[in-house]
Amino acid sequence: MMTMTKFFACLGVLLLIGVGQAHAAILYAKKDRVKITADKSPTSRTIAMLSLGDPVEVIQQSGRRYRVKLPDGKTGWVFKFKLSENKPTRRSGGSGLAGLTGQGTVVAQEARAGGSIRGLKESTKQYAERKRIDPAHRQAVENMEQFSLSPDELLAFQREGGIGEYAGGGQ
Amino acid sequence: MRKRRLIGAGIASMGLLMCLSTPSSGFLEDLFAPRPPKDSSTETRPSPKQKQDQPDLMEGLGGLFGAEKKDIDLLKKGLGVIQALQPIGEEEELALGQAVAVEAFSRFGGEYHNASLTRYVNLVGQTIAEVSDRPNLAYHFAILNSEEQNAFAAPGGYIFVTIGLLKTLKNEAELAGVLAHEIAHVTQKHMLETIRRSALLSNVSELTLTVLNKDPQMFSNLIDEIADKLFTKGLDKEKEFEADEYGVEFAYRAGYNPRGLRDYLVTLQSQEGRARSRFFSTHPNTSERIAKLDGLLRNYPDGDALPLLAERFARYLRSV
Repeated sequence: MMTMTKFFACLGVLLLIGVGQAHAAILYAKKDRVKITADKSPTSRTIAMLSLGDPVEVIQQSGRRYRVKLPDGKTGWVFKFKLSENKPTRRSGGSGLAGLTGQGTVVAQEARAGGSIRGLKESTKQYAERKRIDPAHRQAVENMEQFSLSPDELLAFQREGGIGEYAGGGQ
Repeated sequence: MRKRRLIGAGIASMGLLMCLSTPSSGFLEDLFAPRPPKDSSTETRPSPKQKQDQPDLMEGLGGLFGAEKKDIDLLKKGLGVIQALQPIGEEEELALGQAVAVEAFSRFGGEYHNASLTRYVNLVGQTIAEVSDRPNLAYHFAILNSEEQNAFAAPGGYIFVTIGLLKTLKNEAELAGVLAHEIAHVTQKHMLETIRRSALLSNVSELTLTVLNKDPQMFSNLIDEIADKLFTKGLDKEKEFEADEYGVEFAYRAGYNPRGLRDYLVTLQSQEGRARSRFFSTHPNTSERIAKLDGLLRNYPDGDALPLLAERFARYLRSV
């Protein structure tokens, strides 16, 4: 009987060690400019801004938001769908337009490797020539690529509609 | 008897401790929370050992069905080629996508000029893209000047919706549902996989930008192939169902009522036979899609509390 009691006592200790480890769930910012706020509400004061791949330790989950601990020890709240279980890395070729523009636009985050930053690629130009595609349609693609939104405009749009990190009242 | 009780209590306490061992309330919440589609980046790929085993299985099955050895060898050779051609890279994806985008404008009446509406479609699209499984791709959204109801995604994140489709939608959640479905095709690289398979059948062993730049005819053929799939034949049924599944998840993550796509399909179904849309020929049966979406939506019990945003949608559409 004593042996059995000792066994379960040991098991309990081992599981408690497991509790500590499981709490230390590390997640990573899925992209640049992931906002960490002081309180659960997404409209509360921003205390930090994560860059792509920055790690955080999840210490509490509540609805669509996680309370997290940053590497510098600060704690705050973040929209959980902007975090990833796997550490994302920047593609080779740098941060593309985002890097050039100081990450000031939402569009064009990924490297435009292998071609000009703006304008049609040589392969597209050749294709359009071969198919005699109207220059207006080529211009339409350039317009599409050059369109940009500021992060503040996107956040204001999401806040007005109660979507994105403001969904469910930001709770 | 006492020993059994003790063991039972031990198992129960282990279960309780396991519940507690996940981040606060995570275990129970995860158990009852909507199940997101499996993260493709964590998918277990077949090990080299499994790949080597495949031809042996082929031999066994081939023998069972009376296939001759030379046929089996030919099939095995084909499988070897499939394994040899690498997935299409990102540079190539962007090059293909940009050319397909030019083709899309050319076939669907060109760009629809309405700055406010284009901005709106981009705002909705970017809200979804940033919570998708491929948030660091530069997504571009455009409206096509065609009265036909259509939406599609070219590789590399070029997403199109026709003005005809926009006029049919009832709210922003429906728009989000349609765009999320298209974004899912990009995150899951559906077209790239389809093209890779076609390239193999044409004995193409390398699909790099260097090869494509050197051979404009081959590049042109690939664009024709993609355009044919996008605008005429459609992708595999399974890929469309997968895009529906991921699309619902992405729309939900973005905070939209996840029934948007389903509601639009109900409208489309009611117009079957009179609506101008290629969805009927390029996508699986609409009723089947709706039935599958109804099943999926049961995984999102809190979804109905999320907004449809009919008024905001109507405000932007007023300019049309």
